[in-house]
Amino acid sequence: MIGLVDGNNFFVSCERVFNRRLVGRPVAVLSNNDGCCVARSNEFKALGIPMGTPYFKLKHREKSGEISFCSSNYELYGDMSNRIISILREEAVDVEQYSIDEAFIYPPTTAAADYISYGKHLRAKVLKWVGIPCGVGFAPTKTLAKIANHIAKKQPDGVYLLPDDPTEILANLPCSEIWGIGRHLAPKLKAERILTAQHLRDASNDTLRAIGGVTLLRTAIELRGVSCHEERDYDADPDSISCSRSFGEPATTLEALAESLASFSAQAASKLRRHGLLAAGCNIYAQIFADGGGGECIGRTIVFATPSDATNEILRAISQEVKYLYNPCVRYRKTGIVFFGLEKPGTAHQIDLFPLSSSQLPNPSSLDKAVDTLNARFGKGKIFSAAEGIGKKSWHMKREKLSPRPTTRWDELMRVR
Amino acid sequence: MSKKAKVAGSVVAGFPSPAEQYFEPPLDLNELLVKRPAATYFVRVEGDSMINAGINDGDLLVVDRSLSPANGDIIIASVDGDFTVKRLRIGKREKGNGTKHEGADIRLEPGNPKYPTIVLEHGQELDYFGKVTACIHQF
Repeated sequence: MIGLVDGNNFFVSCERVFNRRLVGRPVAVLSNNDGCCVARSNEFKALGIPMGTPYFKLKHREKSGEISFCSSNYELYGDMSNRIISILREEAVDVEQYSIDEAFIYPPTTAAADYISYGKHLRAKVLKWVGIPCGVGFAPTKTLAKIANHIAKKQPDGVYLLPDDPTEILANLPCSEIWGIGRHLAPKLKAERILTAQHLRDASNDTLRAIGGVTLLRTAIELRGVSCHEERDYDADPDSISCSRSFGEPATTLEALAESLASFSAQAASKLRRHGLLAAGCNIYAQIFADGGGGECIGRTIVFATPSDATNEILRAISQEVKYLYNPCVRYRKTGIVFFGLEKPGTAHQIDLFPLSSSQLPNPSSLDKAVDTLNARFGKGKIFSAAEGIGKKSWHMKREKLSPRPTTRWDELMRVR
Repeated sequence: MSKKAKVAGSVVAGFPSPAEQYFEPPLDLNELLVKRPAATYFVRVEGDSMINAGINDGDLLVVDRSLSPANGDIIIASVDGDFTVKRLRIGKREKGNGTKHEGADIRLEPGNPKYPTIVLEHGQELDYFGKVTACIHQF
């Protein structure tokens, strides 16, 4: 049996632990640069304001006191997430964190007699220790546990155990709501008249393989109750590894473009290494600032001499290209990088006769490993390539409504009178 | 080579080091003050409302959310949206556990006669944050 635990409206719930004035109120947490709503309280949802609504469209309702907003406080959310995971680790045989607010758990055999009670116990403990309400769903596979969790959130006690025969539930679940079914598959599935989770479960293996390859087949097998997302497999090679962000204020210098891209590249390269992937190349882009949103994008495609995950190599390649994005007459809204041609090392690719790394740089893998370790230990961005820039970065995120970080900063502790 | 040299210290060759038999990790304040890291929070005191309980303006409090509030405990609770540190007094007719004391007489008592005792209205639920387990006063 697998359980999926996830925090309800997680970012909002984190804010509410330390700001009781937000309890019972319509509150939303904003995306990077205070762009749009990325997490909403139930009261906020009840107003019918959808996810992704831009902040500027709601400012007048904030001014009138009707609704409240917080900037993304990742320091706080990350710490609260770690606390929840450590509690789950105490209570379960194993825990796999899937995202900042979701974790798969493997319950102990003692829980088998009564999963509902076990789930209630977990939920009560997390709520008491951390203050975050969670949903807990149990099912035989991860894909089904995702579905069970979805139902759990609608239960008064927040816990749900999928019945042995979930056909009725699957019959009412559109394919698009199944974990791991990408939007691009929808037309193909529709063409085969596979509309619900039940249809997908009962489709023939050959059909499934033809539509979506082994990934889709695996999903269907999981719906049949047979676990085939092996441990950490959910973190399977992502289709794309990317990093992009808007500047806090429009950027006008080549340095700002170069530094922001170098920093994002370093982050994305670190993700490549975490996934054990090499990238064949990347697209870098810069979006021009235009009043009223939008804005033209200038892109540049870079193909590495050999597929790489080495920050230094990637930065070197990018640094030569950034100037092509730059025009001194315009302001920039955003830069970004998208890696492509991802592959596992060892799969066949041409060997470069003159690999950059061995001739000019220290062994990149050991250097990068050291940087990753140091940054994990001492905080993100403590060690960085000089190309990323030193000092105040004007392209840093805008977080004007940032709450204190009471669990990670001594000078931002909660005050009691 | 250098790694091996370090390991050699634990191999019996010649005189055993007397320190080895008595090796202990150094004292760690976290071990003493933070029993459950996942449930422990630090908060800063503002004002002198608990001065007679040994809690001064600017002190750091160690708060454990995992502990249920009991009569006489020094706790952190939210009153009208603000967090306060007070001594919990639960009168008769206590019912249930945890934060629900329905029908009970709940008071938050200051440690300073200059401040009034906060009396929860009948049926009003205590918005409990956690129990204060230590007070750190830095000079």
